[in-house]
Amino acid sequence: MNMWKTLWTILFFGSITLFAGMAVWVTIGGFRDIKTLFQRLSEDQSVDEE
Amino acid sequence: MIQDDCESPVITNKSPHPALKNTSTKSKLTPFKTVVAFSSKNQAGIYRPNHEQCPPITMENSFTEALSHTNFSTLDWILVVLYLSISVLIGLFVKKYVRNMTTYLGAGRAIGTCLGIATMTGTEMGLITVMYSSQKGFTGGFAAFHIALAAAIVTFIVGATGFIVCRLRDLKVLTIPEFYERRFDRKTRILGGVMLAFGGILNMGLFLKVGSMFVVGITGMSQDSRALPAVMTVLLALVLVYTVMGGMISVIVTDYIQFVVLSFGILAATVVCLNQLGWENIVNTVQELKGEEGFNPLMEGSGFGWSYVAWMFFTAGLVSCAIWPTAVARALAMESTKAVKKQYMWSSLSFMIRFIIPYFWGICALVYFTTSAPDLQELFLPTDPNVEPVNNLYAMPIFLGRVLPVGLIGIITAAMIAAFMSTHDSYLLCWSSVITQDIIAPIRGKNFSTASRIKWTRILIVVIGLYILYWGLIYEGGDDIWDYMAVTGAIYFTGAFSLLIGGLYWKGASSTGAFLALLSGMTALLGLDPVQRLVGLKWVDPKTNEDVQYLSGDEVGLMTVAFTMVVFVAGSLLFPDKPKTQSTKPIEA
Repeated sequence: MNMWKTLWTILFFGSITLFAGMAVWVTIGGFRDIKTLFQRLSEDQSVDEE
Repeated sequence: MIQDDCESPVITNKSPHPALKNTSTKSKLTPFKTVVAFSSKNQAGIYRPNHEQCPPITMENSFTEALSHTNFSTLDWILVVLYLSISVLIGLFVKKYVRNMTTYLGAGRAIGTCLGIATMTGTEMGLITVMYSSQKGFTGGFAAFHIALAAAIVTFIVGATGFIVCRLRDLKVLTIPEFYERRFDRKTRILGGVMLAFGGILNMGLFLKVGSMFVVGITGMSQDSRALPAVMTVLLALVLVYTVMGGMISVIVTDYIQFVVLSFGILAATVVCLNQLGWENIVNTVQELKGEEGFNPLMEGSGFGWSYVAWMFFTAGLVSCAIWPTAVARALAMESTKAVKKQYMWSSLSFMIRFIIPYFWGICALVYFTTSAPDLQELFLPTDPNVEPVNNLYAMPIFLGRVLPVGLIGIITAAMIAAFMSTHDSYLLCWSSVITQDIIAPIRGKNFSTASRIKWTRILIVVIGLYILYWGLIYEGGDDIWDYMAVTGAIYFTGAFSLLIGGLYWKGASSTGAFLALLSGMTALLGLDPVQRLVGLKWVDPKTNEDVQYLSGDEVGLMTVAFTMVVFVAGSLLFPDKPKTQSTKPIEA
């Protein structure tokens, strides 16, 4: 049972820590991606209108 | 048992609180001490017959009283309304970018890695996932964590190898049934579309019901009040507005916002839970209540077992990320296959978190009830075996309502409602596009313009939305939520598993084999409780008056997967396709 307890403890705190870091990265990177997305969509729209 | 004071209860047969008639959440779990697994039976009330001066203490009153202790305040309502307003405005703003089906369904295939991770997480970390996961944690303890681990491992492997998803992305299809036509033939696409839409729409049937339980539990809103159906209707209407208007673009942007709010919200809530209860105390309490069964999922009596663990690697792992169409839709919208791989590898962490945190909250609810909230312990874990416990789907939201401070509870509620909405918007878009692209369009052929397709997709979004509203608010069935979702999902994914793998990786796969495999996926219905009883796979032992089950749901699921694979291979070998013309040749690796 101690093995399982240790496994779940490491899994829980490890994943929380990694997820916190990933959340920060995705928040910043995702904002940049949204700007790029709208730029591309606007460019495509301009091409279509021409 | 009769006591001298008004506080001690005795059982009556008064009509129960409507919440106590709600959807059952029965599963094969070991009872806690004398507590039996919950059911959908009406719960008896309680009263004090020897003291008429004492007000009748019914279970419904106790439940309502327990609900009222939430910290949810006016400020929290303001936060929720503010968040929802932003979502609708986004939908209206992005409408101008929708020009064709590629932008409407695929956001122009211009999604970057980070946005892809955010939207994948936003869609897949739905409120219903949080609810049934927290329930699993409440009943299974730490042993439930194996499901999160399985999801993470398999998703990571799919990302590292590009298994299924990269090949689909290379083909530039918009939906999975579209791949069926390209690889097999039109009738396979139409049947695939029918199975997918049928299973998928049925699968959504209980989403609104479960979502309403969360709102009731955390806000303290009365289940009987007219406010609750009005709230659910408004939420669904908001989803319909921004999904109909903006399609995939608004879905992705709102998913991103939801990811940001939800991620930081759930991390903060988890820290509060840890501070409130303490990790050591949580582990020790679970050990006291459940012993090794609370930690070891392979153990007899844990409620899981080897077949269940294997089933979780398949469903929570492979199906969730590479076969379930809403997840695959994200891959198809990514800017490149390289971005797909990165998205999946990083999303493996999100896929784990979406299970492990709700499990943890469910475990915390259990610990909190047994150590700090005797009123809730009596409701959810009654010591009297003759008293039915309250549906334990309410456990997590009630717990959060009690421990989270004002402000944070509003943020979490807004995030959870956003999770509820993002699941709905993705699923509504997915099923409506499948019907438009994969059933109507192949039948109508070339006479189906882009404008018509978008129009039909929008109409279907509304129609499916109305069905969900009707089903969610009116339906009072006693189905087990996880079993219901697993079976309705299995109708689709058992056949799809064979078709995707066979179609992408085996040149010998034929359209006849594919068609038969899709049909054989219907055998997944044998996992459903009423069907099992009908065909004799489950019955009540007359001696013990308990259910006896020949095959569990996970065993039926695994057998159905194996059966569809056998049918697919046999059908392909016995009825190979005729040599194809250039335009319909399958794409080589």
